[in-house]
Amino acid sequence: MTALLSSPQSCLHPLRRQFERIMAATQDVKGKGEGGDQNFDYMFKLLIIGNSSVGKTSFLFRYADDAFTSAFVSTVGIDFKVKTVYKNDKRIKLQIWDTAGQERYRTITTAYYRGAMGFILMYDITNEESFGAVQDWSTQIKTYSWDNAQVVLAGNKCDMEEERVVSVDSGRLLAEQLGFEFFETSAKDNINVKQTFERLVDLICDKMSESLDTDPAVTTGAPTAKLTDSAPPLQQPGCNC
Amino acid sequence: MGQKISITNSNNTQDSRFLSFLKRFSPQKPSLDKNMSPRTGMFAKLTAPSANKPNDFTRLISNSISFASTRTKEYLLFKDPEGKFQPSLQTLTQVFLMNYITQSVNLDLTDTFNCTAMTPEQRILLGADWVWAILKKPTKNPKIQIAVQVLHLPEREEAEERATAGKPISESIQMAQMESRNKNMYERIVDFCTSIGKDCYALFLFFGKRDDKVNIYGVLSNNFEAAVGKCDKIDRALIENFFKGSRYFHTPFGMMQTIFTKKTEEALTLMIKFS
Ligand SMILES: Nc1nc2c(ncn2[C@@H]2O[C@H](COP(=O)(O)OP(=O)(O)O)[C@@H](O)[C@H]2O)c(=O)[nH]1
Ligand SMILES: [Mg+2]
Repeated sequence: MTALLSSPQSCLHPLRRQFERIMAATQDVKGKGEGGDQNFDYMFKLLIIGNSSVGKTSFLFRYADDAFTSAFVSTVGIDFKVKTVYKNDKRIKLQIWDTAGQERYRTITTAYYRGAMGFILMYDITNEESFGAVQDWSTQIKTYSWDNAQVVLAGNKCDMEEERVVSVDSGRLLAEQLGFEFFETSAKDNINVKQTFERLVDLICDKMSESLDTDPAVTTGAPTAKLTDSAPPLQQPGCNC
Repeated sequence: MGQKISITNSNNTQDSRFLSFLKRFSPQKPSLDKNMSPRTGMFAKLTAPSANKPNDFTRLISNSISFASTRTKEYLLFKDPEGKFQPSLQTLTQVFLMNYITQSVNLDLTDTFNCTAMTPEQRILLGADWVWAILKKPTKNPKIQIAVQVLHLPEREEAEERATAGKPISESIQMAQMESRNKNMYERIVDFCTSIGKDCYALFLFFGKRDDKVNIYGVLSNNFEAAVGKCDKIDRALIENFFKGSRYFHTPFGMMQTIFTKKTEEALTLMIKFS
């Protein structure tokens, strides 16, 4: 193994135990001085879930590589991409897991829920079945992930207004009921892709700060970096197309 | 997908390339099938839409696999006499895949039997180089899958390890290694297949075997996990051990036929000679 993987964890922000547990898994990867882009302050594991063909892989491609292809290549099992974002001078490394939606992969995909701090739960606004499955996916999150995981519901393919079968309102309503944030998105036309990820990162940061605030025991002697300072204003959840 | 390369409407370069492709498609074992002449590939293409008969379909798939194996075999023992040019082992895997994929696109197989090459991260996480899948219509969801891991001759793997030691590895590859650090590559592919079920096979594809370095062999099973009970872990020795007990090797056609006709929950283990 390289130095990067074995470098000792030096300055992890003290967080609540649950965060510590999750961060523990990322500690080994956290490194300093191995070349600029490998420095980071936090690593967040995010998962994209939802029925097959709703656009999870396309969504991640759009975000990480700013590309889109109309060919459908069904994802095998799981995969991930890495992207670094900046928030209040903190570098946050996002490890974004792309999952296959089919039932046959359920065992392997749910194994990755445990370490995730945030989820993008996606359906396709032109596919009623994928919307109907949102409730089940939400139950999967509750069953396999940790309690404080944050979720954003994304109604993808909002560029296909003609074929729409799920209204913006029913999407928003369901999100409210489940306690999730909501966006309509298009990986194809690059609508609300970045916003969805940014919102999810904000939610996770809020949660972290909350944990720090409510548990002073763990904050003693720690730098009190508040990631929530100057959070960007809320984006319009609807799809302006 | 879905473009059909037909003899009549493609341009000339494509035609000649396609035809020379088919010419190279000379069956190694003419006795394999009496209906098969060196030109079967072309006729098979012309009749591909009616390849609904399971046997024709099985034949087309296995022909493509045999074709890729034969082409790859040509390079197994390649050695630059000057010792300067050393293609990586990954190159051999790529040669196999390029030949297989080209062939299966030409034969219009990809909507029914697809081949998904893994990303570098997936290769580490799932232990597979590519995954073949029979697709259900119309959802195109996989019905039967074969996850393939290529193994090279030990001395070549060691040489490559020496050559790449200390070379920088990308960050996402390091992360993938971190994620799967508790398991070796053999265990990862077996775990992956086991997590899916008996309709997912792991195929260890040996590009050269210790006692026959110029041919391609395979051990395929949906039941490797059973071996874990007996030994404490899956390693190369365990997989190679399967060859010892076996005198009989299936052809690629025999392999595909057995898989297609097997009962759903049955365990199956086969030894195959691909080239
Ligand atoms: N029109 C439109 N098509 C999309 C969009 N996102 C994905 N697709 C298409 O939907 C199909 C399935 O996408 P994919 O990302 O593979 O779905 P996944 O199975 O959820 O990963 C592909 O053909 C994509 O090109 C989108 O925002 N708009
Ligand atoms: Mg996908």
